[in-house]
Amino acid sequence: MREYLIRRLVQFVPVLLGIGLVTFLIVKSAPGDPVAMLVDVSLLSQEEIARFRDDLGLNAPLPVQFVTLLKELATGRIHSFRTGEPVLALLAQRLPITAVLLGGAIALSLLLGVPLGVLSARRPGSWLDNWLTTGALWGISLPAFWFALLLMWLFAGVLRVLPASGTGPATKLTYGVLDMVPYFVLPIVVLASGLLPPIMRYTRSSMLDALGHDYIRTARGKGLSETAVVYRHALRNALLPVVTVVGMLIPVLIGATAVIESVFAMPGLGRLVVEAAIGRDYPTIMTLNFLTAVVVLASNLAVDVTYAILDPRIQLE
Amino acid sequence: MAGRALEVIDVFAPARGATAVRRTEWHRVVANRRAIAGAVLLLALTLASLLAPVLAPYDPAEQRAAAAVRAPSARHLMGTDNFGRDVLSRVLWGGRISQLIGLLSMAVSVTAGVLVGALAGYYGRGVDGALMRLTETVVTFPTFFLLVTLVAVFGASVPMLILAIGLTSWPITARVVRAEFLTLRERDFVHAARALGAGNPRIMARHILPNVVPVIVVAATLRVAYVILVEAGLSYLGVGVPPPTASWGSMVADGRQYLFTAWWISLFPGLFIFLTVTTYNLVGDGLRDAFDPQRTGRRAAGGGSS
Repeated sequence: MREYLIRRLVQFVPVLLGIGLVTFLIVKSAPGDPVAMLVDVSLLSQEEIARFRDDLGLNAPLPVQFVTLLKELATGRIHSFRTGEPVLALLAQRLPITAVLLGGAIALSLLLGVPLGVLSARRPGSWLDNWLTTGALWGISLPAFWFALLLMWLFAGVLRVLPASGTGPATKLTYGVLDMVPYFVLPIVVLASGLLPPIMRYTRSSMLDALGHDYIRTARGKGLSETAVVYRHALRNALLPVVTVVGMLIPVLIGATAVIESVFAMPGLGRLVVEAAIGRDYPTIMTLNFLTAVVVLASNLAVDVTYAILDPRIQLE
Repeated sequence: MAGRALEVIDVFAPARGATAVRRTEWHRVVANRRAIAGAVLLLALTLASLLAPVLAPYDPAEQRAAAAVRAPSARHLMGTDNFGRDVLSRVLWGGRISQLIGLLSMAVSVTAGVLVGALAGYYGRGVDGALMRLTETVVTFPTFFLLVTLVAVFGASVPMLILAIGLTSWPITARVVRAEFLTLRERDFVHAARALGAGNPRIMARHILPNVVPVIVVAATLRVAYVILVEAGLSYLGVGVPPPTASWGSMVADGRQYLFTAWWISLFPGLFIFLTVTTYNLVGDGLRDAFDPQRTGRRAAGGGSS
């Protein structure tokens, strides 16, 4: 197990380098001078512009620039082009919002998606199954930003039970965590609407598979209650592919935060990506891509480890 | 208790298999009926946007301040937006750009996916290893962030969007195609073709590929659904289709400010995204079931991942 973990962590290195290089090259092959994005170049003399470029490290050869960026990234000394703030401080400030959104959406999707999938699989072809399957299809076809606006219109505009956007009451100068809760309800629901349908569909199909096995017949034959058969024997085996799906969808889910945080005006990491990209803030873009890649790789690893825990037959080597 | 009794009977009844089969068949009919309904609606949506120049009652770009933010009425079936533009006309024209980007990105994505998948599956070993590492890297990338970066850096244009979306969404296709090539390359007809002196490219293109077409068609249909959603998301954020062109995503964004006073500006374009994506998903699911009845309802969630 320990060797396995170490080997997997070593495998992260080329992937991360690749992602860093791709981002770097994209950003570097961009037309236009980043200096021109930051200041009005017509106000500066040639020497001043040259000095500014030098300060930003833009005059060095490309490989040197890349290595410098990596070094800064590794030591946490990377600074935003736009604000001059350390990027890590910017991230630390924005991470909690995104983390709460992601955690909430994953929890909600699993809590609802798995039982609904089980329900669907227990009576395949029933009206309930048909409705759930249709609902899942609608779910994966919903544009998140539009669904967000619909919910906002209904719950904030018509029913007036939830706030429309933001992360806390604008009327108070200071507020506690409890005041923030209602602001996260709609964003989490919208984010979950993208994850819940695949979880439900995979739970359904892998439950159908599991229920067709001999050990289920054995369990029924020895007189176990149906609940025990379904939940203790079938579901435990059916959950493995579901775990994989959650792992596979994490990059998609992180990407979706860009849209959802923009709709609900929440200053999280997703929105930071959009702001940084539009402002051509290279160091911030690179750090963010790196960070998300690390999160995705780590969650993939977590999925594999969970797999081994859920299924003792799997040996991690 | 009643449910319990039924389960007990089930254990002893050999008829269980029979009902299961009948249920599956019935399920397949339903699935096909759905797929057909989806296909009809999709055709109608496509025709409506193709015929936009004829059907649209107004010029989609014409701004008339006097008629701004009007609720749906007989004159403007879907109302007007904040610039006084007719929402119906813009929705019809917006469909052209969404479908164009959807179909062309799908073409790029599927071509790339089939190439990578075919080479990896056919040659195996080192080629397979390298290509699958590449695929994993692309999957690991939060592609939506990459897209936002690409478009923001190079500036949004339709060809740029098509390439960017196409080149970041091929891994799923590559994986399915690889799996097919892996099994098919060991089949007798492939050995026979090789014995007759056919070269590798010929075997891949003429002998194996035709057998993989159903899988590719299903993947392609579901990919269009996904790609339309991605384009709409980018356009919503303002990094998609550039402004003067009516696009569904940016139309929804236009209405964001007026949500509580003029809901129709956002509602209708979003509804059309939803309908178009749903119908592509319905047709894709239906095709999958039709090509491979064994897997009916087993495989799932085509449109949800990249």
